[in-house]
Amino acid sequence: MSEFIVKKDVKNLHHEGEKLISTHCCYCGMQCGMHIRVNEKTGAIAGVEPRYDWPVTLGKMCPKGVTAYQTIDHEERITKPLIKKDGQFVEASWEEALDLIEKNYKRLQADYGKDALSVFGGVSMTNEKCYLVGKYARVGLGTRFVDYNGRFCMSSAAGGFMKTLGTDRGSTLPWPELEHTDCFFMSGTNTAECHPTTIQWLWKARDKGAKMIVADPRETPTARIADVHLDLKAGTDSALANGMMHLLIREGYVDHEYVSERCNNYEDLKKSVEPFTPAYTAEITGVSEEKILKAAHIYGQSPRSVVMFARGVEQQAKGVDNVTLYTSMALLRGQIGKFAAGVATFTGQGNGQGGREHGQKSDALPGYRKIDNPEHVKYVSSVWGIEPEEMPKAGVSAYEMFDEIQRGNIRSMHVICSNPAVSAPNNEYIWDGFNKLDFMVVSDFFLSETAEFADVVLPVTSWAEDEGTTTNLEGRVIRIRKVKDPIGESQPDWEIINRITERMGKKEHFGYENVQQIFDEFRLATKGGKADYYGITYDRIDNEEGVFWPCPSEDHPGTPTMFKEKFDTPDGKANLPSVPWHEPDEVPTDEYPVTLTTGRVVFHYLSGTQTRRISFLNEKCPEPFVEMHPEMASQYNLSDGDEVKLTTKRSSMKLDVKLTKAIRSDHVFVPYHWGKELSVNLLTNPALDPTSRMPEFKVCAVKIEKV
Amino acid sequence: MNKVMYLEFERCIGCRACQAACRECGDHDGKERNYVEYVDFMESRQTYPMMCMQCTDPACARVCPANAIQITEEGVVLSAMEEKCIGCRNCTFGCPFGIPKFDFEENKMYKCDMCYDRTQHDISPMCASVCPSDAIRFIDFEEMQELRRRRTQLNLVEGKKPTEQDKWQYVPEFFGVYSD
Repeated sequence: MSEFIVKKDVKNLHHEGEKLISTHCCYCGMQCGMHIRVNEKTGAIAGVEPRYDWPVTLGKMCPKGVTAYQTIDHEERITKPLIKKDGQFVEASWEEALDLIEKNYKRLQADYGKDALSVFGGVSMTNEKCYLVGKYARVGLGTRFVDYNGRFCMSSAAGGFMKTLGTDRGSTLPWPELEHTDCFFMSGTNTAECHPTTIQWLWKARDKGAKMIVADPRETPTARIADVHLDLKAGTDSALANGMMHLLIREGYVDHEYVSERCNNYEDLKKSVEPFTPAYTAEITGVSEEKILKAAHIYGQSPRSVVMFARGVEQQAKGVDNVTLYTSMALLRGQIGKFAAGVATFTGQGNGQGGREHGQKSDALPGYRKIDNPEHVKYVSSVWGIEPEEMPKAGVSAYEMFDEIQRGNIRSMHVICSNPAVSAPNNEYIWDGFNKLDFMVVSDFFLSETAEFADVVLPVTSWAEDEGTTTNLEGRVIRIRKVKDPIGESQPDWEIINRITERMGKKEHFGYENVQQIFDEFRLATKGGKADYYGITYDRIDNEEGVFWPCPSEDHPGTPTMFKEKFDTPDGKANLPSVPWHEPDEVPTDEYPVTLTTGRVVFHYLSGTQTRRISFLNEKCPEPFVEMHPEMASQYNLSDGDEVKLTTKRSSMKLDVKLTKAIRSDHVFVPYHWGKELSVNLLTNPALDPTSRMPEFKVCAVKIEKV
Repeated sequence: MNKVMYLEFERCIGCRACQAACRECGDHDGKERNYVEYVDFMESRQTYPMMCMQCTDPACARVCPANAIQITEEGVVLSAMEEKCIGCRNCTFGCPFGIPKFDFEENKMYKCDMCYDRTQHDISPMCASVCPSDAIRFIDFEEMQELRRRRTQLNLVEGKKPTEQDKWQYVPEFFGVYSD
């Protein structure tokens, strides 16, 4: 199979002496298709060429995607293992680094037990690697403490979908169908900045008359083009969704046949949304009654609609409830399982979908199996070649691992492909946790803020120096190709896991020679699970433009549309929720009178470890700012560009003011892609959702002072 | 080349992928030649892309005392020829759209050439290729005319109007740029 995949009659520019290698972007869940230009003689990266025939993105890329290749040969790449001596990193050999890791791991486990070690994973890496992280922790190190940064990103969506639909696949429909949708109800998603290449599909639909309803405290570039912008207060999603369902029922927009055949608990839901009249909903959410009514009528009358949401509704202490409610809006309208209709979350991280299915989560095993289910443990143990009794019990969620550090239970952490020093809430607590660790290892390809705390930093390959698969936001499994050989002495994560587990005496369970071998074991481990990848092969991905899971056998066509006949719950019916109104964990008070919400800008990805190092992106947005309505600014005598101090119960930071009327006058917004004193997560609230254990990044109460 | 650069300002999401992509064009020396600007950030997040109109009788070329700005047979207005450009910056003052850029270190002008290395082979320029919202498109002249007619048609069909908001008041609804 050629490395350059292109359909007949599609023209690309081929520069002399260069070849094109087809792959996907390393950043968000869109996983935009691209070709990387490579010098044929030297193997050096020359640039990027649009992949016009990738069916999900049609050659489109955001500025992060266009410049993604610039991370590969970046001058700041870590090329050798680093060991901290007297507070300074010095370059070391792999043997020295591994000796140190072996010595400390064995010592700590001898002194404090197996669970003294922990692994903190990430999902900006391939399925093969994400799968191995769980196995590495449980089999390689024998610890129960493993979790990952998806807790800060998608776990509420997963929890909500599991509860309502029985399986969590980010989108119940394939993206190209969006062109035929009549109405998009989008909440807490700034698609234009966070998943820009989706916008083309929204416009294709709008060109045919489709409507857009966008709920967001800010008039984002997404909300700007909406037919109705529901400018709700942060943290009031459950009231808005309940209010919408109240109107769907009152105005006769419910698909009763669908609901009675395919849903449980309709009567309970009806009762629970009863109090949410437009007046009551308006009072809680701050959205005018007219807008709520208008949105309900547009949404209720649309024959084919998709409810879409993202971190705005998920990163709340009630994130799972929010997801179940918004999902139910689609269920009441009888939309899930049908053409150009359904429900979707915008997966934030590149492999947020695949990475959350295969056992990096503290309570999960590959294929969306659960660690508290003896049958599941038995099956996975048989694939891994261990006794079921050897399988560690469930651990704790990402943020709670830092509680375990404080309690002295976790003595060491291996952070892989993640930067919690920036991305976790209540930063100072996280930093204190890192400082308390006896021994800390970080695998990364740039020296992230987290890596700076480490005792050993292991240089890993970037996404273009290894191969594998990822699962995009649709649930389509796609292929990442190796574009060049690894820089310096960097190694792929799976090779590093091979070498550490060999030192820990677990070679017979690892010792992988290539990625294909891991993929085959991973397929087997998912076989029979909810997220069944068994029938997916590299060749099929190339020939079929990706394969949608579940795909239980090689002759199975994959599942582009989920839940066509039944849901994945025990009785095949979707579970409608009953959720009363709860306030966010923190509400404005006299001392902290303003609501702070956080999010992204289009130029940066997650903690910014990669994008802050790309000159184009950094020029466009070099530092964070606090976005504020001029009405609020005048109360504090602030002008555009003035410096202010923001203080929450956790900490404080200084930022420059950016004035715009495109935000609620009682909210401020700060993007989160920077570290240390520029990290807004110094301020954010670590209140956790009871089910998904996701922190409430999106709402906290803040005090503003002019500096 | 019977193609047109078709801009729909309303669609612009301000991501500046077109500028990042402009730097990627083989002949562009890693410098972008297009612009994305806020209409008025205080009022709205509406942004719009701006690029060379590839005028039929370009002011930049007319005011060039050195005849350094050449026009290809397809009508693409190129950057000033290095060996002829005297660095007088007349072109930057002459252009009514403020498009030509000036490199003070190299003392020469540079501007959008519609990715001539691509468009001469009928491959879309980098900016239009990547634009995530199709605010910039590189399409057939006929397709452009069809799109313009469709706008009117959609506005006539009740309930099919693309948007009910008044945000368009800040910018023209669409803008066709002719290359031939």
